[in-house]
Order: sequence, then structure tokens, then C-alpha cells
Amino acid sequence: MKHEISELLPFYANDTLDEQERARVESELATCSACAEELHQWKALASALRTRADAAPFVPPNVLDDALARINMPPVAAASTKFRTAWWGVPARYATAAALVVGVSAAGIAAWHARDFSGQGAASGTGTADRATRVYRVAPSPLAKLAPKMRINTNALPPAGVAQANEDAAPSSVAKQHRLAKKARLELIVRDVEGALTAAQATVRGAGGDVISLADANPHASDAVHEATVEVEVPAARLDDTLDHLGLLGTVQNRTIDAEDVDAAIVDQEARLRNLRRAENDLRALMDRSGKVTDILTVQQNLSETRGQIEQLDAQHQHDLHRVATSTISIALTEDRPNGAPAKPGPSARIDGAWHSGLNALADTLVSLISTIAWCVAYSPLPLGLAGIVYTATRLLGRRRATAP
Amino acid sequence: MTDAEDRALIERIAHRDRAAFETFFGMHGSGVHRFVRDLVRDDGLAEELTSDVMVEVWRGAGKFAGRSRVRTWLFGIAHHKAIDTLRRRRTPTVPLDDLVAVASNLEGPEDAAVRAADRHQLEGALAALSPEHRAVLELTFVQGFSQKEIAEIVDAPAATVKTRAFYAKQRLRDALATAEHPR
Repeated sequence: MKHEISELLPFYANDTLDEQERARVESELATCSACAEELHQWKALASALRTRADAAPFVPPNVLDDALARINMPPVAAASTKFRTAWWGVPARYATAAALVVGVSAAGIAAWHARDFSGQGAASGTGTADRATRVYRVAPSPLAKLAPKMRINTNALPPAGVAQANEDAAPSSVAKQHRLAKKARLELIVRDVEGALTAAQATVRGAGGDVISLADANPHASDAVHEATVEVEVPAARLDDTLDHLGLLGTVQNRTIDAEDVDAAIVDQEARLRNLRRAENDLRALMDRSGKVTDILTVQQNLSETRGQIEQLDAQHQHDLHRVATSTISIALTEDRPNGAPAKPGPSARIDGAWHSGLNALADTLVSLISTIAWCVAYSPLPLGLAGIVYTATRLLGRRRATAP
Repeated sequence: MTDAEDRALIERIAHRDRAAFETFFGMHGSGVHRFVRDLVRDDGLAEELTSDVMVEVWRGAGKFAGRSRVRTWLFGIAHHKAIDTLRRRRTPTVPLDDLVAVASNLEGPEDAAVRAADRHQLEGALAALSPEHRAVLELTFVQGFSQKEIAEIVDAPAATVKTRAFYAKQRLRDALATAEHPR
């Protein structure tokens, strides 16, 4: 066997030779049984290596997470977080992780204290301001995980000074690291529910939001109160000013915001999605390489299951992202008087009302008088008839007594 | 994924498109990880190197000249980083004495590899090869590169690649034969 041909055999086996080299190898193979035997060995080796590669573990999800974290950093910082072993013998990534843990924990503790302060302010009852500056923040500390949901009643907030102190207590970058799904509730007493509804919808649409549900209850009973509840969605960034504008529609009875930390869920979904997509790609590659029908069917079934999981998880992921991008506001509107009750008039309306009610009273009196006369006239024949009968009878009895002996 | 699709992704990555980067990672991360893992034979180090390679792709996407396939360029980065790391660490290869015994009656190492019920036999024999030899086998038979592309990846003349492949097989045969008949 020619040595030159022997060196080409592995590339003949993996089908990457050009036409000229291929022709040379095939020409040799036709006459050289040793060459054919060696080609058989190369093909067997190729098959064994591919089988082994198929069984190799997938790249763990943390590798992508690490790469993504590094590409977001400036080159110098990224270089410092590489996994290389540092001079003191500890991999730099552990040192970096430790530094991050210390930093994040410090920020978390600071934010936790800040929340404690705002709680004290609320308990002391100093929050009488109708539109105080709101403070809420979730820190990435273990404590925050224990209580991922928090509620802020903006009618019971600490004074502005305390709020400012809280702003200073933790860096804003800590708050920005978390994705919050916010849900607000606003309870208003309004003069006119219909008008308030129209104005509320205009305000929400002006903020780039929309109405997602409406329940309008207007019973006909005179003592019933007209109520309506409307749920709207607005861009998360416009939540505060939208609430402020909506508050102008009536008297604010209650204003709360629930902020749920969905960051962990979103990160988890993203990691699982990446993993599933990688698995899907590997399955596709495997299917391309599979030769047996049973193998293809098995891989196809796994592929179908993986695709289903991806779609389900992706839907949940999109939903959570939507919850972060948009905030929901539930607006409860209640009319300030029962149906049929007149609205409290102004001074001129009251004078006008007095004049009109006086005239109405006079008219009523005259009508009553005329009615009485008419009634009397209408019924007069009856008493007159009776009186005539009584008179005639009396006269007849008097005459009989006079003529009696 | 075709080379045209890879090039489109690289162009987007050059414009700092994170989604494109994630897609590229999804497409090639496993291949790179498998390749460097075979070279360095250390799971933790393989993960670090895979991350290094992908970060290098992010940084170097704008400089990709397009003279070769994207995969060739990618595996060139991976090979360079893995070999460079091994040289700096001077990681020893697994001695032949650690190989498990080969029970089969061998005509050649390839037959044994196919027949072997226990993959440890092949693993042990591969561990006995130098990283350069393992790289050529992996690039040829698992990644499916041509000799010219492998020459570009490992930065060596094409003749060297052919010789390495030839001797890789020879040494694999020797390693398995030694395992079968330990001295």
C-alpha cells in the first residue's frame, strides 16, 4: 500500500476529499486489499468516536450564564472574573463570587433595614399625606426570598424625610437588578361613575395602556349606589403618574401596590429554555445521524416532547415578562349618593331652588283649593238632596202637630 | 446550521446582539465543549474553556474576515485556547498502565472500539494519546472537517495533519494492544 494513499484514507472515510484525491484513493482501493482493510478500520474508528460523542454530556447551562455575564462587563473586569487559578491558589471565580455575595448581601441588608424603617413610619401613623413619595425596593437577600411579595399602602406612608432616608440607604442599582410585577388598586368615591369611567379610560389610553375588564353595577332601586370596577394595564414605567392622574377623578379611599419579585422565576425559565433548546438541537443532530427507523422514531418522540416543554415554558416566560413590562390597576368607583338623591346644590342653585319650591308650594295650595271646591261642587247634590228631604219631613211633621186636636 | 446562517449570526454578534450570541451558543456550545473536553480531559476546565471561547467569539466577531467557514474559525479558537492551557498547566496524559484490560481478540483498534461493551476501553486508549492527536481524530470524525480545515484549526501544515491522523491510529492500536497484553 502506498503510504500517501494511506494518509488520505481518514479523509476519504469522512467524505471531505476533493475530486482528484478521491479518484486517486478509489483507484487504489480497487486493487489494494490492504488499503480496503485499513479503510474499514478507519470507518470503524469513526463510528466508535461518533457514538462516544453522542453519549458525551451536554454543556451545562451555567457556562452560557457565565459567558453572558462576562460579555456584559468591560474587558478588564471580565478578564478578572475568568476561572483562572489565582496566585493564591483559589480560582478567581470563587473569589469574585465571594466578593459578589458580600456586596449583594450588604446591599440586601441595607435595603431590608430601609424597609423596616418604612414599616415603622406606617405604624406610627404619620402617613397622612395623600400623595407621599412611595418607596419600595426588593433586595437580593435571603430575606427577600422569604417574602417575595410586598404591599405598599400609599395612604399610610412615612413622611417625605423618612422616604428620602430610605432612598439613600440602598443604591438604586440594587433595585434595578430585580424585575417586579406590580399590581395596584385604587378605590375612589366619585360624583358620577359614568363620567369617571370615561375619564379613567382616557387617562389610561393616554398613558399607553388599555382596559382589560369592566364591571358596571347600576341597580335601579332608589337607595342603591352606582358602582363600577375597571381593570386596566399600563406600561410599568407609567404606573405612578397614571395613579396620580386617576386619583384626581374623585376622593381616594385606598391606594395600594403589590410588587411581586419575579426575577428568580424569569431567570430560571430562561436557563431552562436555553437548556431545552440545546437539547432540542442535539436531538436534531442525533436524528440526522441516526440510521435505524426505531432510533429515528425514538429521537422524534423525544424531540416532540422537548418541543412541547419549550412551548409551554416559553408561554409562561412571555407571560411573566409581560407582567413586568405592564402593571395592572384595579380601579373601584363608587358614586357618592344613592340613585335619585339630588346632588348637593350650590348657593345660587339653592336660591333658585327655594324660589321654585315656593312657587311650587303656592301652585300646590291653589290646586288643592280648587280641587276642594270642585270636589264640593261635584258632591253638593247629595248633601243638598238630603237637606231637602230632612227639611220637607220636618215641615210635614210640624203641620200634623198643628192640626192635631 | 449552514455556514451562511452562522455568518449571519456572527454579523449580528458583531453588532452586539445578545440573542444572536445565545443562539450561536445553542448551536455550537455543545460541540465546542465536547471538543475541548476531549483535549483537556477535565470537566471543570472544559466549561471554563467553552466560556472563554464563546466570549472570544463575542469580542472577535467584528474581526471575523470570512476567509474560512465560521466553524473552522470557532474550532481554531477552541483548539488554540485548549492547547495553550494544557501547555501552561503541563497536564500529564493518562499513563497506559491505567488502561483497563481489553478482553476482545483484536484485529485492529477500531474493531475493538466498535465491539467493546465497555466504553472505558476506548476512553483509556484515547487518554493515552497526546492532545494534538486527539484533536485530529475529533476534528476529522466527530466534527467532520477536511484536512485543509483541520490544518487551519490546529495551525499546522496539511501534511502534518495527515501524519498526525496516521500516527493517532497507530498509537491507539498500540494503546489497546498494550491494554490487552499488559507487560
